[in-house]
Amino acid sequence: MSIHWPEAPNLVSEADFDTVDMTINVGPQHPATHGVFRMVLTVDGEVVVDCEPYIGYLHRGLEKLSEHNDYRQAMGFWDRTDYLAGITCEVAYCMAVEKLSGIAVPERAEYIRVIMAELGRINSHLMFLGAFGTDVGSMGTTFSYAFREREKVYDLFEEVAGDRLFPTYIRVGGVSMDLPDNFEQRCRWVLSGVQQGLEDLDGLLTGNEVFVERCRGLAPMTTERAIALGITGPILRATGMPWDLRRAEPYGVYPRLDFDIPIGRSGDIFDRFWVRMAEVHQSIRIIEQCLKDIPKGGLVLNPDLPKTLRIDEGECYFRYEGTKGEYGVFAQSKGGNKPYRMKLRSPSFCNLSALREMVVGTYVADAVVILGSLDIVLGEVDK
Amino acid sequence: MSKNPASLPYPVGSQVPHGELKSIIQRVLKDVPVEFGETKTDLDVIVQPADLAQLVGGLRDRKELAFDFLRNITGVDYGEEGMALKYALYSFTHGHALQVTVPLPPAQDPHPVVPSLAALYPAADWHEREAHEMFGIDFEGHPNLRNLLLEEDLHIHPLLKAHPLQAAEILQGIESGPPGFKF
Repeated sequence: MSIHWPEAPNLVSEADFDTVDMTINVGPQHPATHGVFRMVLTVDGEVVVDCEPYIGYLHRGLEKLSEHNDYRQAMGFWDRTDYLAGITCEVAYCMAVEKLSGIAVPERAEYIRVIMAELGRINSHLMFLGAFGTDVGSMGTTFSYAFREREKVYDLFEEVAGDRLFPTYIRVGGVSMDLPDNFEQRCRWVLSGVQQGLEDLDGLLTGNEVFVERCRGLAPMTTERAIALGITGPILRATGMPWDLRRAEPYGVYPRLDFDIPIGRSGDIFDRFWVRMAEVHQSIRIIEQCLKDIPKGGLVLNPDLPKTLRIDEGECYFRYEGTKGEYGVFAQSKGGNKPYRMKLRSPSFCNLSALREMVVGTYVADAVVILGSLDIVLGEVDK
Repeated sequence: MSKNPASLPYPVGSQVPHGELKSIIQRVLKDVPVEFGETKTDLDVIVQPADLAQLVGGLRDRKELAFDFLRNITGVDYGEEGMALKYALYSFTHGHALQVTVPLPPAQDPHPVVPSLAALYPAADWHEREAHEMFGIDFEGHPNLRNLLLEEDLHIHPLLKAHPLQAAEILQGIESGPPGFKF
């Protein structure tokens, strides 16, 4: 039996219309922008044809404030840049000032700094893993897994320094106080929790075909292009370049530590996700070695520090592997107790400047995922 | 003690001594008039704004130097003595780093002009926009010199030393306070 369909009417083809691009405003208050970030997307149907990012909603004048406070006071502003891992910013700031002044750091303090900074890195990457899962539609389950473990790390920060997000624990010339007595035991307990959290996230995301299909092949990037655009950190490593400042321009006690640099292949969204997940494992490895190698006892702050820190004329550009990439601090002194100029080379800022190139040509729904994969922190972008 | 990396595709830690890098630059780019200095971290090359594009083009394209990565651009205001721009460069091929300093006249009307590097290094785009709004330096050839961190219609340059540290409300005339900065 055959069915006789009525003849199709003359459908109007798309060529008969002038299509008009539509402008969509995303942000500054929007959950997918991870802070106060605004972008204006111009779309042709579902395809993004242009993207204009607007930043500066969180601009607090970090550099101007640093010029008007002495070296110790200004540190409080700096850990409010990358607020997901404030401790790494403190370390970078203090190491820049030490580079400028030539102040030495006791060995025990160097190890404590590495332990605390890697805990900060774990926290920041867990935040990414949780938030990114939500960006691609896992509806908060990844968030709860990630936050369960982040709380433990923050509790540990509170025990050590008295504050959770902004410990202000690092000092020029060392750290402010020694670790509490049961720190090693507590830290190992936290790390085993993080390990468990990673397994949960891994099972939920890495092995999930919906997630993998969503991310694989989206917004790929070559190493050459990433370098030209100024991209550093996990996004550069996802393109296959094992460039990590802890290895490339080593500082502190990192040359003595054994760890790998995870890399991706194509620089797509999945690789960026995978590199960050692998980096948490490496951070755990680093902390475990430090707990083993750290000198028992000894000073944690340089005893020869003057009451007021005055630094002779000079300048330096200190670079630190922050959680998002190269966290550079340009510092210049003209004598006196205040810096003449402090400039932050913020990795999120530079990574975000490549957003337009990544987003144009993709679908609107992908734009949110691509933005999420950059793992920006607006405190760091806007300074 | 050092248990170090299996293999990395770049040399570790700026192993080229500053003196050696200096002699390479002198040999390869001998047409460009430059002076040399030293910071606590890097070799410093001082070049006039007119020669900047030629110098940086050479630094990027010559195989012996191959500075393929623009890390950072910093503006500095020295008040009466003028201003300066500091470019931080890095080479993934050789692992060496360099700072390029461009001395500029004091902040004034008209603004000092520097050639834009946005065509050579796409990464320079936002750094130059930031230096433009914070210091009032014009980058010739930049495609889009709008304000980035500040409001679009705010034409102040807060990082100049003449600009006082004060609350935004006083600047905008919403609240009273000590006499503000005249624009």
